[in-house]
Amino acid sequence: MTLAQAKHTDDAPLGDTLPTEEITLDLTSLIVYAAATWDFHRYHYDVTFVKKLGLPAPFVDGQMIGALMTSRLMRWGGPDAFVRKIGYRQRATVYVDETIVISGNVTARTVENGRRCATFNLSVVKADGTAVVCDCVATIELGPE
Amino acid sequence: MKTRITDDLKAWIGREETYTAPEELGRAAIRYFALALRDDNPVYCDADFAKRTAHGDIIAPPTFVCETNQIINQPLDENGYIGHHWPLPLSSSRFIRGGNEYEFFQPVRASDRVSVTWKILDIHERHTRKLGTLIFVVSEARYINQDKNLLAINRETNIYSP
Repeated sequence: MTLAQAKHTDDAPLGDTLPTEEITLDLTSLIVYAAATWDFHRYHYDVTFVKKLGLPAPFVDGQMIGALMTSRLMRWGGPDAFVRKIGYRQRATVYVDETIVISGNVTARTVENGRRCATFNLSVVKADGTAVVCDCVATIELGPE
Repeated sequence: MKTRITDDLKAWIGREETYTAPEELGRAAIRYFALALRDDNPVYCDADFAKRTAHGDIIAPPTFVCETNQIINQPLDENGYIGHHWPLPLSSSRFIRGGNEYEFFQPVRASDRVSVTWKILDIHERHTRKLGTLIFVVSEARYINQDKNLLAINRETNIYSP
């Protein structure tokens, strides 16, 4: 995932939409995430090893998908924001060099304990439309009322 | 269809394991994780900027605390893995992730020394035509810092095929 590969396709300024972002997860991206999380398992970089297991290619740690969604929500919410909750079911494994598309929209705005919050529905799909996650809902706290 | 849930496997429900990091998280680790997400949000790396936010200091991207390999401090196994796993009595240790539910209670800071307690909440199975009998293992990890403040809870489901 170079910066050139992480391109914005829908730059909705603030508003109720998370800017849609395409991210290509190349081998460098997988290795940097694996190293940053001390996850040295061969699953994420060793082509011969994963092929012996009958898998097509090294694959993305599922938690990286959650980390990317949460990161983009924090960016949307601004410097005072903090994600309170995010939950999803994983539907498909993402393999090296696949492109994912992250998008989302606000479904509710509430005040909880004097703090402004936004609830999101999020989607992550592959370039061919295959769902990577489903039922993804998140709550982000934006600041005092 | 025959059940795969033996008494030995059922006995794992309720089991807990706690690990405490040997040191504080540190700013470099936070900056590295943000880099891995191609995230240049200054709240993760610029102390002067972060001071002026509601957080008052550099914070970690929220899910970072749920990546506990560095906390666990044990040697690499033959496949390079160093993290937590449950040595369940199953024919194969291969699983796929079924999903995660994260709750974040307060931002994690560079000075936090994190402890995690993993617990198995439930083990159940589902019979499928295509894949046979799948075992679902539902675990919960609770993360606290050195002051016993609750940082986050992560509930995850892993699915073991036959």
